[in-house]
Amino acid sequence: MKIIVFIRQIVNPQVKLQGVDYFDTSRISEDDLIINPFDKNALEGALKLKDSESAEVTAICVGGIKPSKAVREAIAMGCNDAVEVVDDNYYLEDPMILAKIYSKIVEKIGDVDLIFTGCEEQSSSSYAVPAMLAELLDIPSVLYAEEIEKTVDRFRISHVLEGGRKIVEMPMRGLISCTDSQYFVPRYTSMRGILTSKRAQIPQWSNEDLKLDEATVCENAASLTVSSFSNIVIEKDSYILKEEEPDEMVDKLLAKLKEDNIKLGV
Amino acid sequence: MKILVFAQIRDDKIEENTLGILNKVNEVFKDSEISASLFGSNIKEEWIKQLGVHGAKKVYTIDVPELEYYLSRPNVKALSKVIDEIQPTIIIAAGTVYGEDLLPRVAIRRGVSCAQRITDITKEGEEILFYTPVRDDQAMKVQKITGDIKFVTTRTGAFFVNENPTGEEPEVISVDITFEEKDLLVKHVEIKKAEVTVNLKDAKVIVAGGRGVGGKDQFAILKELASILGGQIGATRACTDMNWVEETYEIGQTGQSVSPDVYIAAGISGAPQHISGIKAKTLIAINTDEGAAIFNYADYGIIGDLHIILPLLKQKISD
Repeated sequence: MKIIVFIRQIVNPQVKLQGVDYFDTSRISEDDLIINPFDKNALEGALKLKDSESAEVTAICVGGIKPSKAVREAIAMGCNDAVEVVDDNYYLEDPMILAKIYSKIVEKIGDVDLIFTGCEEQSSSSYAVPAMLAELLDIPSVLYAEEIEKTVDRFRISHVLEGGRKIVEMPMRGLISCTDSQYFVPRYTSMRGILTSKRAQIPQWSNEDLKLDEATVCENAASLTVSSFSNIVIEKDSYILKEEEPDEMVDKLLAKLKEDNIKLGV
Repeated sequence: MKILVFAQIRDDKIEENTLGILNKVNEVFKDSEISASLFGSNIKEEWIKQLGVHGAKKVYTIDVPELEYYLSRPNVKALSKVIDEIQPTIIIAAGTVYGEDLLPRVAIRRGVSCAQRITDITKEGEEILFYTPVRDDQAMKVQKITGDIKFVTTRTGAFFVNENPTGEEPEVISVDITFEEKDLLVKHVEIKKAEVTVNLKDAKVIVAGGRGVGGKDQFAILKELASILGGQIGATRACTDMNWVEETYEIGQTGQSVSPDVYIAAGISGAPQHISGIKAKTLIAINTDEGAAIFNYADYGIIGDLHIILPLLKQKISD
Protein backbone atom coordinates (compact mmCIF):
# COMPACT_ATOMS: atom_id res chain seq x y z
CA MET A 1 0.00 0.00 0.00
CA LYS A 2 1.48 3.32 -1.10
CA ILE A 3 0.38 6.39 0.85
CA ILE A 4 1.06 10.08 0.34
CA VAL A 5 0.48 12.60 3.13
CA PHE A 6 0.27 16.23 2.12
CA ILE A 7 1.47 18.49 4.93
CA ARG A 8 1.79 22.23 5.15
CA GLN A 9 4.09 24.29 7.26
CA ILE A 10 2.44 27.10 9.18
CA VAL A 11 3.41 29.60 11.84
CA ASN A 12 2.65 28.24 15.30
CA PRO A 13 -0.71 29.73 16.36
CA GLN A 14 0.76 30.12 19.88
CA VAL A 15 3.24 32.77 18.68
CA LYS A 16 2.61 36.19 20.16
CA LEU A 17 1.78 37.89 16.88
CA GLN A 18 -1.74 39.24 16.66
CA GLY A 19 -3.89 39.70 13.57
CA VAL A 20 -2.18 40.48 10.29
CA ASP A 21 1.25 40.49 11.97
CA TYR A 22 0.91 36.73 12.27
CA PHE A 23 1.04 36.47 8.48
CA ASP A 24 4.11 38.75 8.17
CA THR A 25 6.83 36.24 7.38
CA SER A 26 9.61 38.74 8.15
CA ARG A 27 8.67 38.56 11.83
CA ILE A 28 8.91 34.79 12.07
CA SER A 29 11.84 32.72 13.29
CA GLU A 30 12.44 29.08 12.42
CA ASP A 31 11.35 28.01 15.91
CA ASP A 32 7.88 29.38 15.20
CA LEU A 33 7.31 27.04 12.27
CA ILE A 34 5.26 23.90 12.78
CA ILE A 35 3.44 21.32 10.71
CA ASN A 36 -0.21 22.35 10.38
CA PRO A 37 -1.73 20.45 13.35
CA PHE A 38 -4.45 18.75 11.26
CA ASP A 39 -1.75 17.53 8.86
CA LYS A 40 -0.02 15.91 11.82
CA ASN A 41 -3.29 14.10 12.49
CA ALA A 42 -3.14 12.97 8.85
CA LEU A 43 0.44 11.75 9.33
CA GLU A 44 -0.76 9.72 12.29
CA GLY A 45 -3.56 8.20 10.21
CA ALA A 46 -1.08 7.11 7.53
CA LEU A 47 1.46 5.82 10.06
CA LYS A 48 -1.18 3.67 11.73
CA LEU A 49 -1.56 1.94 8.35
CA LYS A 50 2.20 1.68 8.08
CA ASP A 51 2.16 -0.16 11.42
CA SER A 52 -0.73 -2.48 10.59
CA GLU A 53 -0.46 -2.96 6.81
CA SER A 54 3.23 -2.26 6.15
CA ALA A 55 2.20 0.73 4.03
CA GLU A 56 4.88 2.92 2.50
CA VAL A 57 4.32 6.50 3.62
CA THR A 58 5.70 9.55 1.82
CA ALA A 59 5.22 13.04 3.27
CA ILE A 60 5.06 15.96 0.86
CA CYS A 61 5.36 19.59 1.86
CA VAL A 62 4.57 22.23 -0.75
CA GLY A 63 5.76 25.75 0.05
CA GLY A 64 6.47 26.95 3.57
CA ILE A 65 9.24 29.13 4.93
CA LYS A 66 11.50 26.19 5.75
CA PRO A 67 9.81 23.03 4.46
CA SER A 68 12.87 20.89 5.26
CA LYS A 69 12.00 21.26 8.95
CA ALA A 70 8.48 19.95 8.35
CA VAL A 71 9.46 16.98 6.21
CA ARG A 72 12.26 15.96 8.57
CA GLU A 73 9.79 15.95 11.43
CA ALA A 74 7.47 13.78 9.33
CA ILE A 75 10.29 11.29 8.79
CA ALA A 76 11.15 11.42 12.49
CA MET A 77 7.53 10.47 13.21
CA GLY A 78 7.97 7.40 11.02
CA CYS A 79 7.38 8.27 7.34
CA ASN A 80 9.53 6.26 4.93
CA ASP A 81 10.52 9.28 2.90
CA ALA A 82 9.57 12.82 2.03
CA VAL A 83 9.70 15.45 -0.70
CA GLU A 84 9.87 19.24 -0.49
CA VAL A 85 8.26 21.16 -3.30
CA VAL A 86 9.25 24.79 -3.64
CA ASP A 87 8.74 27.12 -6.54
CA ASP A 88 8.55 30.88 -6.14
CA ASN A 89 6.09 31.19 -9.00
CA TYR A 90 3.49 29.01 -7.33
CA TYR A 91 0.63 30.99 -5.81
CA LEU A 92 -0.49 28.92 -2.86
CA GLU A 93 -3.13 31.24 -1.39
CA ASP A 94 -5.78 29.90 -3.74
CA PRO A 95 -6.89 26.38 -2.74
CA MET A 96 -7.61 25.58 -6.39
CA ILE A 97 -3.98 26.16 -7.35
CA LEU A 98 -2.67 24.14 -4.42
CA ALA A 99 -5.01 21.30 -5.39
CA LYS A 100 -3.68 21.42 -8.97
CA ILE A 101 -0.11 21.16 -7.70
CA TYR A 102 -0.99 18.27 -5.38
CA SER A 103 -2.73 16.49 -8.21
CA LYS A 104 0.38 16.75 -10.38
CA ILE A 105 2.55 15.42 -7.55
CA VAL A 106 0.28 12.37 -7.16
CA GLU A 107 0.55 11.77 -10.89
CA LYS A 108 4.35 12.11 -10.85
CA ILE A 109 4.78 9.71 -7.94
CA GLY A 110 2.40 7.23 -9.56
CA ASP A 111 0.56 4.16 -8.27
CA VAL A 112 -0.61 5.92 -5.14
CA ASP A 113 -3.25 3.99 -3.20
CA LEU A 114 -4.20 6.45 -0.52
CA ILE A 115 -3.85 10.16 0.09
CA PHE A 116 -4.06 11.62 3.57
CA THR A 117 -4.25 15.28 4.48
CA GLY A 118 -5.48 17.49 7.31
CA CYS A 119 -9.10 18.61 7.14
CA GLU A 120 -8.10 22.27 7.07
CA GLU A 121 -5.23 24.68 7.43
CA GLN A 122 -5.37 26.30 10.84
CA SER A 123 -5.25 30.11 11.06
CA SER A 124 -6.21 30.64 7.42
CA SER A 125 -9.29 28.44 7.93
CA SER A 126 -8.84 27.01 4.43
CA TYR A 127 -10.53 23.63 4.11
CA ALA A 128 -11.20 23.35 0.37
CA VAL A 129 -8.04 21.63 -0.87
CA PRO A 130 -8.84 17.97 0.01
CA ALA A 131 -12.26 18.14 -1.68
CA MET A 132 -10.78 19.81 -4.77
CA LEU A 133 -7.92 17.33 -4.97
CA ALA A 134 -10.28 14.34 -4.81
CA GLU A 135 -12.26 15.79 -7.71
CA LEU A 136 -9.21 16.54 -9.84
CA LEU A 137 -7.99 12.99 -9.34
CA ASP A 138 -11.53 11.64 -9.69
CA ILE A 139 -11.12 9.31 -6.72
CA PRO A 140 -13.43 8.37 -3.82
CA SER A 141 -12.90 10.45 -0.69
CA VAL A 142 -14.11 10.97 2.85
CA LEU A 143 -13.49 14.29 4.57
CA TYR A 144 -13.41 15.22 8.27
CA ALA A 145 -12.57 11.64 9.27
CA GLU A 146 -12.45 10.82 12.97
CA GLU A 147 -11.61 7.15 12.86
CA ILE A 148 -10.62 4.54 10.29
CA GLU A 149 -11.26 0.84 10.48
CA LYS A 150 -10.05 -1.56 7.82
CA THR A 151 -12.48 -4.26 6.77
CA VAL A 152 -11.60 -7.01 4.29
CA ASP A 153 -11.42 -4.82 1.21
CA ARG A 154 -12.68 -1.42 2.27
CA PHE A 155 -12.25 1.28 4.86
CA ARG A 156 -15.05 1.94 7.28
CA ILE A 157 -14.65 5.59 8.21
CA SER A 158 -16.39 7.59 10.87
CA HIS A 159 -16.51 11.31 10.15
CA VAL A 160 -17.67 14.42 11.94
CA LEU A 161 -21.30 15.40 11.47
CA GLU A 162 -23.40 18.09 13.09
CA GLY A 163 -25.16 16.44 16.02
CA GLY A 164 -23.16 13.22 15.97
CA ARG A 165 -21.04 11.23 13.57
CA LYS A 166 -21.56 9.41 10.33
CA ILE A 167 -20.11 6.14 9.15
CA VAL A 168 -19.38 5.43 5.51
CA GLU A 169 -17.44 2.83 3.58
CA MET A 170 -14.84 3.72 1.01
CA PRO A 171 -12.78 1.59 -1.40
CA MET A 172 -9.15 1.21 -0.39
CA ARG A 173 -7.91 3.61 -3.04
CA GLY A 174 -8.93 7.17 -2.30
CA LEU A 175 -8.45 10.28 -0.20
CA ILE A 176 -9.09 10.86 3.50
CA SER A 177 -8.93 14.20 5.33
CA CYS A 178 -8.40 13.99 9.07
CA THR A 179 -9.63 15.91 12.11
CA ASP A 180 -7.97 16.25 15.51
CA SER A 181 -9.89 13.31 16.98
CA GLN A 182 -8.64 10.95 19.64
CA TYR A 183 -7.82 8.35 16.96
CA PHE A 184 -5.52 10.72 15.08
CA VAL A 185 -3.57 12.09 18.07
CA PRO A 186 -0.10 12.35 16.56
CA ARG A 187 2.70 10.20 17.94
CA TYR A 188 5.89 11.70 19.28
CA THR A 189 9.07 11.53 17.31
CA SER A 190 11.41 8.82 18.55
CA MET A 191 15.15 9.21 19.10
CA ARG A 192 15.73 6.67 16.34
CA GLY A 193 13.34 8.55 14.09
CA ILE A 194 15.17 11.81 14.69
CA LEU A 195 18.49 10.20 13.78
CA THR A 196 16.96 8.70 10.63
CA SER A 197 15.50 12.05 9.66
CA LYS A 198 18.89 13.76 10.03
CA ARG A 199 20.48 11.31 7.62
CA ALA A 200 17.58 11.24 5.17
CA GLN A 201 18.13 12.52 1.65
CA ILE A 202 15.18 14.73 0.88
CA PRO A 203 14.52 15.47 -2.78
CA GLN A 204 13.57 19.04 -3.63
CA TRP A 205 11.22 19.49 -6.52
CA SER A 206 10.30 22.65 -8.35
CA ASN A 207 8.20 23.21 -11.44
CA GLU A 208 11.07 21.86 -13.51
CA ASP A 209 10.20 18.49 -12.05
CA LEU A 210 6.42 18.86 -12.01
CA LYS A 211 6.18 20.55 -15.42
CA LEU A 212 2.89 22.29 -14.74
CA ASP A 213 1.86 25.02 -17.15
CA GLU A 214 3.07 28.00 -15.13
CA ALA A 215 0.24 30.17 -16.38
CA THR A 216 -2.18 27.90 -14.47
CA VAL A 217 -0.43 28.01 -11.08
CA CYS A 218 0.93 31.55 -10.80
CA GLU A 219 -0.78 34.47 -9.09
CA ASN A 220 -2.53 35.55 -12.27
CA ALA A 221 -4.24 32.18 -12.45
CA ALA A 222 -5.92 32.63 -9.07
CA SER A 223 -9.69 32.79 -9.09
CA LEU A 224 -9.79 33.80 -5.44
CA THR A 225 -7.93 37.07 -4.88
CA VAL A 226 -7.44 39.18 -1.77
CA SER A 227 -8.97 42.60 -1.99
CA SER A 228 -8.01 43.75 1.50
CA PHE A 229 -6.55 42.28 4.64
CA SER A 230 -6.74 44.09 7.94
CA ASN A 231 -7.10 43.64 11.65
CA ILE A 232 -10.56 43.28 13.11
CA VAL A 233 -11.14 46.06 15.58
CA ILE A 234 -13.30 44.88 18.42
CA GLU A 235 -15.55 47.63 19.59
CA LYS A 236 -16.93 45.56 22.39
CA ASP A 237 -16.46 47.24 25.73
CA SER A 238 -15.38 44.32 27.84
CA TYR A 239 -14.13 44.17 31.39
CA ILE A 240 -11.00 42.02 31.41
CA LEU A 241 -8.84 41.52 34.49
CA LYS A 242 -5.20 40.48 34.36
CA GLU A 243 -1.86 40.51 36.14
CA GLU A 244 -3.32 40.67 39.63
CA GLU A 245 -3.60 38.16 42.42
CA PRO A 246 -6.29 35.59 41.53
CA ASP A 247 -8.13 36.37 44.74
CA GLU A 248 -8.33 40.08 43.92
CA MET A 249 -9.40 39.43 40.35
CA VAL A 250 -12.26 37.18 41.44
CA ASP A 251 -13.40 39.78 44.01
CA LYS A 252 -13.30 42.53 41.39
CA LEU A 253 -15.17 40.40 38.87
CA LEU A 254 -17.95 39.61 41.34
CA ALA A 255 -18.20 43.25 42.39
CA LYS A 256 -18.40 44.42 38.79
CA LEU A 257 -21.07 41.84 37.94
CA LYS A 258 -23.07 43.04 40.91
CA GLU A 259 -22.66 46.65 39.86
CA ASP A 260 -23.85 45.81 36.34
CA ASN A 261 -26.81 43.92 37.75
CA ILE A 262 -25.76 40.60 36.34
CA LYS A 263 -26.91 37.62 38.34
CA LEU A 264 -24.53 34.72 38.19
CA GLY A 265 -26.88 32.11 39.61
CA VAL A 266 -30.42 31.16 38.73
CA MET B 1 -28.28 38.16 -11.34
CA LYS B 2 -29.20 34.66 -10.24
CA ILE B 3 -28.30 33.14 -6.90
CA LEU B 4 -28.55 29.49 -5.93
CA VAL B 5 -28.67 28.43 -2.28
CA PHE B 6 -27.82 24.78 -1.51
CA ALA B 7 -30.50 23.92 1.06
CA GLN B 8 -29.73 21.36 3.76
CA ILE B 9 -31.90 19.31 6.08
CA ARG B 10 -31.07 18.63 9.71
CA ASP B 11 -33.32 16.74 12.14
CA ASP B 12 -36.11 16.54 9.59
CA LYS B 13 -36.21 20.33 9.11
CA ILE B 14 -34.56 22.87 6.86
CA GLU B 15 -31.28 23.57 8.61
CA GLU B 16 -31.22 27.03 10.24
CA ASN B 17 -28.14 28.31 8.43
CA THR B 18 -29.84 27.77 5.07
CA LEU B 19 -32.67 30.07 6.20
CA GLY B 20 -30.10 32.60 7.48
CA ILE B 21 -28.40 32.62 4.09
CA LEU B 22 -31.73 33.16 2.29
CA ASN B 23 -32.37 36.14 4.52
CA LYS B 24 -28.89 37.55 3.87
CA VAL B 25 -28.91 37.20 0.09
CA ASN B 26 -32.39 38.69 -0.13
CA GLU B 27 -31.05 41.68 1.79
CA VAL B 28 -27.80 42.16 -0.16
CA PHE B 29 -28.98 41.24 -3.65
CA LYS B 30 -32.42 42.82 -3.76
CA ASP B 31 -33.18 42.52 -7.45
CA SER B 32 -31.79 39.07 -7.94
CA GLU B 33 -33.57 35.84 -8.68
CA ILE B 34 -32.97 33.66 -5.65
CA SER B 35 -33.43 29.91 -5.97
CA ALA B 36 -32.73 26.99 -3.70
CA SER B 37 -31.78 23.42 -4.50
CA LEU B 38 -33.21 20.65 -2.34
CA PHE B 39 -31.99 17.08 -2.68
CA GLY B 40 -33.19 13.98 -0.91
CA SER B 41 -35.51 11.05 -0.90
CA ASN B 42 -39.15 11.78 -0.07
CA ILE B 43 -38.75 15.53 0.05
CA LYS B 44 -41.44 17.09 2.19
CA GLU B 45 -43.86 19.72 1.00
CA GLU B 46 -43.30 21.75 4.18
CA TRP B 47 -39.55 22.07 3.48
CA ILE B 48 -40.25 23.55 0.05
CA LYS B 49 -42.83 25.93 1.54
CA GLN B 50 -40.40 27.02 4.22
CA LEU B 51 -37.71 27.83 1.63
CA GLY B 52 -40.27 29.95 -0.21
CA VAL B 53 -41.40 31.78 2.91
CA HIS B 54 -37.79 32.63 3.67
CA GLY B 55 -37.19 34.08 0.23
CA ALA B 56 -36.52 31.41 -2.39
CA LYS B 57 -38.54 32.21 -5.53
CA LYS B 58 -37.83 28.82 -7.10
CA VAL B 59 -36.93 25.49 -5.56
CA TYR B 60 -35.12 22.91 -7.70
CA THR B 61 -35.76 19.48 -6.27
CA ILE B 62 -34.12 16.14 -7.01
CA ASP B 63 -36.00 13.42 -5.20
CA VAL B 64 -34.34 10.01 -5.63
CA PRO B 65 -33.37 7.16 -3.26
CA GLU B 66 -29.64 7.69 -3.95
CA LEU B 67 -29.86 11.12 -2.33
CA GLU B 68 -31.49 9.94 0.90
CA TYR B 69 -28.19 10.36 2.74
CA TYR B 70 -25.55 12.88 1.81
CA LEU B 71 -22.65 11.40 -0.14
CA SER B 72 -20.17 13.57 -2.04
CA ARG B 73 -20.31 12.23 -5.57
CA PRO B 74 -24.09 11.98 -6.06
CA ASN B 75 -24.47 15.49 -4.64
CA VAL B 76 -21.73 16.86 -6.92
CA LYS B 77 -23.65 15.47 -9.85
CA ALA B 78 -27.00 16.77 -8.57
CA LEU B 79 -25.79 20.29 -7.83
CA SER B 80 -23.91 20.47 -11.14
CA LYS B 81 -27.10 19.56 -12.93
CA VAL B 82 -29.08 22.33 -11.21
CA ILE B 83 -26.31 24.83 -11.95
CA ASP B 84 -26.50 23.87 -15.63
CA GLU B 85 -30.22 24.62 -15.56
CA ILE B 86 -30.03 27.96 -13.76
CA GLN B 87 -26.61 29.36 -14.75
CA PRO B 88 -26.33 31.28 -11.46
CA THR B 89 -23.67 33.86 -10.63
CA ILE B 90 -23.41 32.86 -6.97
CA ILE B 91 -23.78 29.40 -5.46
CA ILE B 92 -23.83 29.55 -1.70
CA ALA B 93 -24.06 26.91 1.04
CA ALA B 94 -23.83 26.87 4.82
CA GLY B 95 -20.40 25.71 5.98
CA THR B 96 -21.65 22.55 7.60
CA VAL B 97 -19.69 19.35 7.05
CA TYR B 98 -21.77 18.68 3.93
CA GLY B 99 -21.62 22.25 2.62
CA GLU B 100 -17.85 22.36 3.00
CA ASP B 101 -17.54 18.97 1.37
CA LEU B 102 -19.65 19.83 -1.63
CA LEU B 103 -18.95 23.35 -2.83
CA PRO B 104 -15.19 23.14 -3.44
CA ARG B 105 -15.79 19.96 -5.47
CA VAL B 106 -18.36 21.53 -7.77
CA ALA B 107 -16.26 24.70 -7.99
CA ILE B 108 -13.08 23.02 -9.20
CA ARG B 109 -15.08 21.02 -11.73
CA ARG B 110 -15.95 24.43 -13.22
CA GLY B 111 -12.31 25.52 -13.01
CA VAL B 112 -12.82 28.04 -10.23
CA SER B 113 -12.08 28.37 -6.53
CA CYS B 114 -14.37 28.81 -3.56
CA ALA B 115 -14.64 31.51 -0.89
CA GLN B 116 -14.60 29.77 2.47
CA ARG B 117 -16.37 30.35 5.81
CA ILE B 118 -17.53 33.87 5.07
CA THR B 119 -19.25 35.94 7.75
CA ASP B 120 -20.33 38.73 5.42
CA ILE B 121 -20.95 39.45 1.77
CA THR B 122 -21.33 42.87 0.16
CA LYS B 123 -22.06 44.28 -3.24
CA GLU B 124 -20.51 47.58 -4.22
CA GLY B 125 -21.47 48.48 -7.77
CA GLU B 126 -20.63 45.41 -9.80
CA GLU B 127 -18.12 44.18 -7.27
CA ILE B 128 -19.05 41.38 -4.88
CA LEU B 129 -16.85 40.97 -1.83
CA PHE B 130 -16.58 37.98 0.50
CA TYR B 131 -15.39 38.39 4.11
CA THR B 132 -13.52 35.59 5.88
CA PRO B 133 -12.13 36.09 9.40
CA VAL B 134 -8.76 34.42 9.93
CA ARG B 135 -6.18 34.02 12.70
CA ASP B 136 -8.76 33.26 15.41
CA ASP B 137 -10.94 36.14 14.23
CA GLN B 138 -8.21 38.71 14.72
CA ALA B 139 -7.98 39.66 11.04
CA MET B 140 -10.42 39.94 8.15
CA LYS B 141 -9.55 38.75 4.68
CA VAL B 142 -11.78 40.34 2.06
CA GLN B 143 -11.74 38.41 -1.20
CA LYS B 144 -13.07 38.57 -4.72
CA ILE B 145 -13.75 35.70 -7.06
CA THR B 146 -12.88 36.28 -10.69
CA GLY B 147 -15.10 34.93 -13.42
CA ASP B 148 -18.81 34.56 -14.01
CA ILE B 149 -19.53 31.91 -11.41
CA LYS B 150 -18.78 32.26 -7.70
CA PHE B 151 -18.88 29.49 -5.09
CA VAL B 152 -19.17 30.43 -1.43
CA THR B 153 -19.62 28.72 1.93
CA THR B 154 -20.62 30.61 5.03
CA ARG B 155 -19.50 30.17 8.59
CA THR B 156 -22.31 28.50 10.50
CA GLY B 157 -24.17 30.92 12.74
CA ALA B 158 -23.03 33.91 10.64
CA PHE B 159 -26.45 35.01 9.40
CA PHE B 160 -29.66 35.51 11.28
CA VAL B 161 -32.89 33.82 10.36
CA ASN B 162 -35.64 36.31 9.57
CA GLU B 163 -38.19 35.96 12.39
CA ASN B 164 -41.01 37.39 10.27
CA PRO B 165 -40.44 36.13 6.76
CA THR B 166 -42.90 37.26 4.12
CA GLY B 167 -42.00 35.11 1.13
CA GLU B 168 -44.54 33.27 -0.96
CA GLU B 169 -45.01 29.74 -2.17
CA PRO B 170 -42.11 29.04 -4.52
CA GLU B 171 -42.20 27.63 -8.01
CA VAL B 172 -41.04 24.02 -7.84
CA ILE B 173 -38.89 22.57 -10.60
CA SER B 174 -38.23 18.87 -10.40
CA VAL B 175 -34.95 17.82 -12.01
CA ASP B 176 -34.20 14.31 -13.30
CA ILE B 177 -30.95 12.55 -12.67
CA THR B 178 -29.40 9.11 -13.12
CA PHE B 179 -26.40 7.71 -11.34
CA GLU B 180 -23.80 5.24 -12.46
CA GLU B 181 -21.96 2.67 -10.39
CA LYS B 182 -18.88 4.90 -10.19
CA ASP B 183 -20.93 7.69 -8.58
CA LEU B 184 -21.76 5.38 -5.70
CA LEU B 185 -18.38 4.01 -4.64
CA VAL B 186 -18.57 5.55 -1.17
CA LYS B 187 -21.47 4.00 0.70
CA HIS B 188 -23.55 5.23 3.57
CA VAL B 189 -23.49 2.90 6.59
CA GLU B 190 -25.14 4.74 9.45
CA ILE B 191 -25.51 8.01 11.31
CA LYS B 192 -24.80 7.88 15.01
CA LYS B 193 -26.59 10.74 16.64
CA ALA B 194 -24.95 12.13 19.74
CA GLU B 195 -27.05 11.00 22.64
CA VAL B 196 -28.75 14.08 23.99
CA THR B 197 -29.71 13.22 27.54
CA VAL B 198 -29.37 16.75 28.86
CA ASN B 199 -31.08 19.62 27.12
CA LEU B 200 -28.77 22.62 27.36
CA LYS B 201 -31.06 24.83 25.28
CA ASP B 202 -33.08 25.93 28.29
CA ALA B 203 -30.17 26.29 30.74
CA LYS B 204 -29.91 29.81 32.16
CA VAL B 205 -26.34 29.38 33.34
CA ILE B 206 -23.67 27.26 31.64
CA VAL B 207 -20.17 26.62 32.93
CA ALA B 208 -18.31 25.29 29.91
CA GLY B 209 -14.83 23.89 29.59
CA GLY B 210 -12.38 23.47 26.73
CA ARG B 211 -9.02 21.84 26.19
CA GLY B 212 -7.57 24.06 28.93
CA VAL B 213 -9.47 22.07 31.56
CA GLY B 214 -6.89 19.35 31.06
CA GLY B 215 -8.70 16.12 31.93
CA LYS B 216 -11.72 14.22 33.11
CA ASP B 217 -11.09 14.75 36.83
CA GLN B 218 -10.54 18.46 36.36
CA PHE B 219 -14.12 18.82 35.10
CA ALA B 220 -15.28 18.28 38.70
CA ILE B 221 -14.82 21.94 39.60
CA LEU B 222 -16.94 23.00 36.61
CA LYS B 223 -19.69 20.64 37.74
CA GLU B 224 -19.53 21.95 41.31
CA LEU B 225 -19.70 25.56 40.16
CA ALA B 226 -22.56 24.83 37.76
CA SER B 227 -24.45 23.09 40.53
CA ILE B 228 -24.09 26.03 42.93
CA LEU B 229 -25.26 28.42 40.21
CA GLY B 230 -28.21 26.20 39.33
CA GLY B 231 -26.87 25.68 35.83
CA GLN B 232 -25.38 23.05 33.58
CA ILE B 233 -21.93 22.25 32.36
CA GLY B 234 -20.96 22.42 28.72
CA ALA B 235 -17.88 21.49 26.71
CA THR B 236 -16.12 21.87 23.40
CA ARG B 237 -15.89 18.96 20.97
CA ALA B 238 -12.26 18.37 21.97
CA CYS B 239 -13.40 17.53 25.52
CA THR B 240 -16.21 15.19 24.51
CA ASP B 241 -13.93 13.57 21.94
CA MET B 242 -11.38 12.81 24.66
CA ASN B 243 -14.19 11.46 26.86
CA TRP B 244 -13.58 14.04 29.57
CA VAL B 245 -17.37 14.54 29.62
CA GLU B 246 -20.30 12.83 27.91
CA GLU B 247 -20.98 14.00 24.37
CA THR B 248 -24.43 15.30 25.30
CA TYR B 249 -22.62 18.31 26.79
CA GLU B 250 -20.98 19.34 23.53
CA ILE B 251 -21.79 22.91 22.50
CA GLY B 252 -21.06 24.32 19.05
CA GLN B 253 -21.50 23.60 15.38
CA THR B 254 -21.52 19.84 15.83
CA GLY B 255 -23.19 19.87 19.26
CA GLN B 256 -26.03 21.73 20.91
CA SER B 257 -26.86 25.40 20.39
CA VAL B 258 -27.42 27.31 23.62
CA SER B 259 -28.72 30.72 24.66
CA PRO B 260 -28.17 31.11 28.41
CA ASP B 261 -28.18 34.33 30.44
CA VAL B 262 -24.65 33.63 31.63
CA TYR B 263 -22.00 31.54 29.87
CA ILE B 264 -18.76 30.95 31.73
CA ALA B 265 -16.10 29.78 29.26
CA ALA B 266 -13.17 28.19 31.09
CA GLY B 267 -10.09 27.12 29.17
CA ILE B 268 -11.89 27.63 25.87
CA SER B 269 -9.87 29.22 23.06
CA GLY B 270 -12.92 30.43 21.17
CA ALA B 271 -12.77 28.52 17.89
CA PRO B 272 -15.57 29.55 15.50
CA GLN B 273 -16.97 26.00 15.55
CA HIS B 274 -17.66 26.38 19.27
CA ILE B 275 -18.70 30.04 19.28
CA SER B 276 -21.29 29.48 16.57
CA GLY B 277 -23.34 27.46 19.07
CA ILE B 278 -23.52 30.19 21.73
CA LYS B 279 -25.89 33.11 21.98
CA ALA B 280 -25.39 34.20 25.58
CA LYS B 281 -26.57 37.45 27.16
CA THR B 282 -23.36 37.61 29.19
CA LEU B 283 -20.15 35.75 28.42
CA ILE B 284 -17.42 35.45 31.04
CA ALA B 285 -14.09 34.04 29.85
CA ILE B 286 -11.31 32.57 31.93
CA ASN B 287 -8.16 31.70 30.05
CA THR B 288 -4.39 31.92 30.57
CA ASP B 289 -3.86 33.08 26.99
CA GLU B 290 -4.60 36.77 26.62
CA GLY B 291 -4.63 36.41 22.82
CA ALA B 292 -7.32 33.71 22.88
CA ALA B 293 -10.20 34.52 20.54
CA ILE B 294 -12.70 33.94 23.33
CA PHE B 295 -11.83 37.38 24.72
CA ASN B 296 -13.18 38.92 21.49
CA TYR B 297 -16.61 37.71 22.54
CA ALA B 298 -16.32 38.05 26.31
CA ASP B 299 -18.17 40.72 28.25
CA TYR B 300 -16.09 39.93 31.32
CA GLY B 301 -12.90 38.03 31.64
CA ILE B 302 -10.01 36.98 33.79
CA ILE B 303 -6.65 36.19 32.28
CA GLY B 304 -5.61 33.46 34.62
CA ASP B 305 -5.59 29.76 35.36
CA LEU B 306 -9.08 28.29 35.58
CA HIS B 307 -7.85 25.71 38.07
CA ILE B 308 -7.20 28.55 40.51
CA ILE B 309 -9.95 30.99 39.47
CA LEU B 310 -12.90 28.57 39.44
CA PRO B 311 -12.35 27.22 43.00
CA LEU B 312 -12.06 30.81 44.23
CA LEU B 313 -15.22 31.77 42.39
CA LYS B 314 -17.04 28.79 43.84
CA GLN B 315 -15.86 29.55 47.36
CA LYS B 316 -16.75 33.25 47.20
CA ILE B 317 -20.19 32.59 45.73
CA SER B 318 -20.92 29.95 48.41
CA ASP B 319 -19.92 32.44 51.10
